Amino acid sequence: MKETNVTIISNNINRNLLTYYKDYFVIDKNFTLDDLVQHSKVIFFNILYTLTDIEIKELYNFLNDYDIKFINFTNNIDEALLTNYLIIYSEDKVIMEGNTIDILKREKDIRNLGLKLPFYIELSNLLKDYGLIDKTYIDKESLAGALWK
Amino acid sequence: MEIKTYLNEYGIIGVVSNYKNSLQPFNTIQDLNIKNLESALKMVGLDNTIIAKKYSDITINELWKIELATKLNNEIIIVGNLSTSLNNKDINYMKKLFRKLSQEYHKKIVIIDDDINIFFEIVKKILVVKNHKVIYETEDFFDKQLYRHCKMPKIVEFINYINRDKKILQNNVEIYELIKDIYRSV
Repeated sequence: MKETNVTIISNNINRNLLTYYKDYFVIDKNFTLDDLVQHSKVIFFNILYTLTDIEIKELYNFLNDYDIKFINFTNNIDEALLTNYLIIYSEDKVIMEGNTIDILKREKDIRNLGLKLPFYIELSNLLKDYGLIDKTYIDKESLAGALWK
Repeated sequence: MEIKTYLNEYGIIGVVSNYKNSLQPFNTIQDLNIKNLESALKMVGLDNTIIAKKYSDITINELWKIELATKLNNEIIIVGNLSTSLNNKDINYMKKLFRKLSQEYHKKIVIIDDDINIFFEIVKKILVVKNHKVIYETEDFFDKQLYRHCKMPKIVEFINYINRDKKILQNNVEIYELIKDIYRSV
């Protein structure tokens, strides 16, 4: 895994996965930005779902400004779009890893693991099947622009 | 209105609130004295191999299902944190199970979660509860006031965005209905 920000999704999230990332500081309950400053690497363990989209954006900018690398362990596949690198575990084994968008194109493999696609990716795929768009969009503005030109 | 009154009317309700898992640590599952253990485990999607597992080896997903297994004989079944404990396949399974428990076994079900997506296709009434009081209630997933208390699902966000100046799409929480509606409107 490159030294980059990563989302880790598991179909059976558990703390055993943390043993592979011992040099990261783990955050699994409410936190403030001040809590993060003293660490160069942090793990958010199933916690970012509590934040609004604006708060996540703020957090992301903060981490970027302070050059803090993070790994986001989550059940929520929509959070995968926060990072460019995605790792998917199944039963404590890495099943897929790589560029987030490339991984999310493997829809059948993802569904076989009991997971679902992020909403805009799933919607884009269905709209492509209907011939209404010709590529994948990851946000409402660009998707709306492609549909109602 | 009391939550019991809502349950009598709706059978299954969704509650936006914090939920703390109630299952205390145990040595093995036998310690929990679950009635008809094997069939209870089967009902929640676990097999008998879990019986021999120690608490420290059990995953969050499995713990959630075990907690549900302990509640199956209750008249009112309260569950929470599906969105953070289960994967999508399990969530869909549990929705079918809750419908079965409600329709065939006449159980009342309270689903507590911050993620409104969990309530789609299963819940007709949503309550927002703070400090043990119902502070808001709605039957409409597109009720803007609801989203003062929780995150808006992406499908609602998308439809609201498209309809911001003019109503183009119908309010829908089912993605295939949304696709048909988009197809008709472009």
